[in-house]
Amino acid sequence: MSGKPGYYGAILDIDLSSGKIEKVALKPKDLDQFVGGRGLGMKILWDRLKKPGVDPLSPDNPLIFMPGPFSGLPVPAASRTCVVTKSPMTSPVRSDYPCASTVSYSNVGGFFGPEIRFAGYDGILISGKANDLCYVTIDDGKVEIRDAKKFRGMRTDSFDRAILQELGDRRFKMIYIGPAGENLVRYASILHTSARAAGRGGVGCVMGSKNLKAIAVRGSGQPGVADHKRFLAALKNARLVLKNSPHTKAMVEQGTARGIVHLSNAGLEAVRNYREGTFPEADKIGGDAAKRDVWVRNVACYCCPLACKKSGLTRGNYGGIVHDGPEYEGGTMLGSNLLISDMAGMLKANYNVDDLGIDSISTGNVIGFLMEAYEKGMIDQKFLDGIDLQWGSVDATLAMIDKIALRNGVGDLASKGVKALSRQIGQGSEKFAIHVKGHELAAHNIQANPPRALCYITANRGACHLNGNDAAIQNTRAMQDSTGLCYFAAIETALNEPTLDLLRAITGREYDKTEFMKTGERVFNLEKLFNYREGFRREDDWLPDRFFEDAFTVGPKKGSVLNRDQFNVMLTQYYKDRGWDTETTKPGESRIKELSLDSI
Amino acid sequence: MTKAIMDRMKKEKTGSNERANLSRREFIKSVGIGGGALVLFGQFGIHAAVLADSRNPVLKMVLVDYGKCTGCRTCEAVCSSHNRPVTIGGEKLPGLGNPRYSNIRVASYNPEVDIPNVCAMCADTPCVNACPVEPDPKTGRRALYRDETTHTVHNDAGRCIGCWSCAEACAAQRIGVISIDPATERPEGICTLCSGDPQCVKWCPFEALSYAEVKPDRKYYGLAPEKIAAELAKNWYGTADLGGLK
Repeated sequence: MSGKPGYYGAILDIDLSSGKIEKVALKPKDLDQFVGGRGLGMKILWDRLKKPGVDPLSPDNPLIFMPGPFSGLPVPAASRTCVVTKSPMTSPVRSDYPCASTVSYSNVGGFFGPEIRFAGYDGILISGKANDLCYVTIDDGKVEIRDAKKFRGMRTDSFDRAILQELGDRRFKMIYIGPAGENLVRYASILHTSARAAGRGGVGCVMGSKNLKAIAVRGSGQPGVADHKRFLAALKNARLVLKNSPHTKAMVEQGTARGIVHLSNAGLEAVRNYREGTFPEADKIGGDAAKRDVWVRNVACYCCPLACKKSGLTRGNYGGIVHDGPEYEGGTMLGSNLLISDMAGMLKANYNVDDLGIDSISTGNVIGFLMEAYEKGMIDQKFLDGIDLQWGSVDATLAMIDKIALRNGVGDLASKGVKALSRQIGQGSEKFAIHVKGHELAAHNIQANPPRALCYITANRGACHLNGNDAAIQNTRAMQDSTGLCYFAAIETALNEPTLDLLRAITGREYDKTEFMKTGERVFNLEKLFNYREGFRREDDWLPDRFFEDAFTVGPKKGSVLNRDQFNVMLTQYYKDRGWDTETTKPGESRIKELSLDSI
Repeated sequence: MTKAIMDRMKKEKTGSNERANLSRREFIKSVGIGGGALVLFGQFGIHAAVLADSRNPVLKMVLVDYGKCTGCRTCEAVCSSHNRPVTIGGEKLPGLGNPRYSNIRVASYNPEVDIPNVCAMCADTPCVNACPVEPDPKTGRRALYRDETTHTVHNDAGRCIGCWSCAEACAAQRIGVISIDPATERPEGICTLCSGDPQCVKWCPFEALSYAEVKPDRKYYGLAPEKIAAELAKNWYGTADLGGLK
């Protein structure tokens, strides 16, 4: 529609309130400036939400599914779909708006994003709210909103089978929520293939608020490229670079699970609700153990040579099919962080959070917080509906997971996250309620890692381990997230040049490194402008006291703790690098103008 | 079990390398000379014997090692690219690869089993036999026929009546790889072997595919994907209950 190479120039716009379905043109300028994925999704969100304070669970909040210009082409590891919306999890210290929250973006691999592009769209925007539970089918130009009442409460593993049976064609690619999303658990995830998740940032909660159970898409079309020959050459090069990369080999070997032992050994893992950085029993739940006892095969996303996903089987009390894992995040958050060293039990917890549709990271964080509050006597067994929530207890963890997803008893409060929990419990528990802006920290611990601490607090969706440790890395990641490429592949620096080549060949726009970084900076700053408008300030870019007060007592980084003054100096420098006001964090006018964000 | 397959494949690989040292012509010549042939049969297995008969050429196919496949579908993308080229500025170039148009098709199950399904290059061609179109008096070809040079199965779209008999025969008797293009109602999904250089084999990032001689006694040969998947799921996950389509 736009005539811009590499794009259809249109998104599919579905209003579930009115049932109106239309193909809406994208502005060519937006494609140039925001590319796709996280960036273009952000621009669409900005255009839709013209005022701050919109209730993220209201029909007004759009839920945007964005592949990128690489998606739907056989580019290795271009499998990601970025889900962009206004966060149902975050809140500022102070704001004029009761429903103030940050932007949220969460991406998922697999096959969904490429299929959106095969179906003829650069993205899907869902707004409004259906009267009753529904799902959407997209078969090229044929789009339907269908009744999903019979699927109500269905867990994702069963739903994955049921929806395929109903649609009758394996070529449909689906994303869906579980019971937790339907129940509006704040950190509900969106699942794909019942194991891959857009887990972070509460995107499944927003989907649930729209009464939308699933989207299924199938496409027979083909997104184009600006320069076909140049694309084929760049593609070949990208394939070879990844094929020869030692990083690729490592991911095929163990995925991210290697980190469970490596980061524990380095004093960088989240252990015992972030009290420690080392878990002496990490080897029992790590990559080597999984390779020996659990995994049967490697599983890859669309055209990806990394195959970081592993599936397998465990035996014993908690035995069962393992769709995925351990990965570093899930293995740590529902393992080391809870002092769980039972491999089958930890994997069962990971299976259950996916099956119920809640984020494994936030869930592990919330349960870790409750275990600590229970240990300290701030809450008792009655508060926990009779659950004896001891460190290391698999049974208690599984029971809490159920309660959270179903918002049953204590699970109702716990479903709102650690910020809400600590506010309710009080007694100084905010010191160890491990979140930034209401979004729980992930599995990388920071007493011994100040740059990663900065990464967490400056992330626009609230605490995010993938944000990047400085402005330059953050801009790069924002740009990578906008192409459709997976970060796990893009982390290979040898892929930087082929990525630029691909971008040029696909879009016809002569990106160089400077332009690439500037585009990422633009994306990051628009997110920041959104958050600033909602009322987020420097006081919101901060960490719980634990990280400044509770030095590690074990491991190689024993004694490590963050220093408030030094950290503040580091933060001030970060704002200066960004061209933001060091008091308020408001993006400076000259930088905004430079990024062409003054006229949006 | 996977190890067994891998071991066997290793053996097969070695076998095919050895054979590659002989040109086909030399080979045919040598097997044609009495006692020598017996020796060679012993070395290369009974399947080499078919070479002695020019009417039964050695058939080759894309062979899958299911233990190595990760379900990434690179095979689908490169197959679609190669077999659905585009013309740009008068030049024929590989297309951009929507897997919808691939001849190798990965059937994915829950729990995680992926079965790339590709033409078994059956010697007895149930698909061709099922074609009801009268053989051309000159060529002897039905609408669906095996090409004498490439040994792959082709469809003459002009003579094809769109009756789907070939697809039904393949589904009932073999692996069900032939489907019907809803737009043209003509069969699709038949492997072309990419003129002897199968792109799926070339680009598979996990070396799960190989270009190998057809051997009907191979485990899983000619089996429908759901049957293979059920057996693998039983071995891998202790269940034969596979989600999705049966």
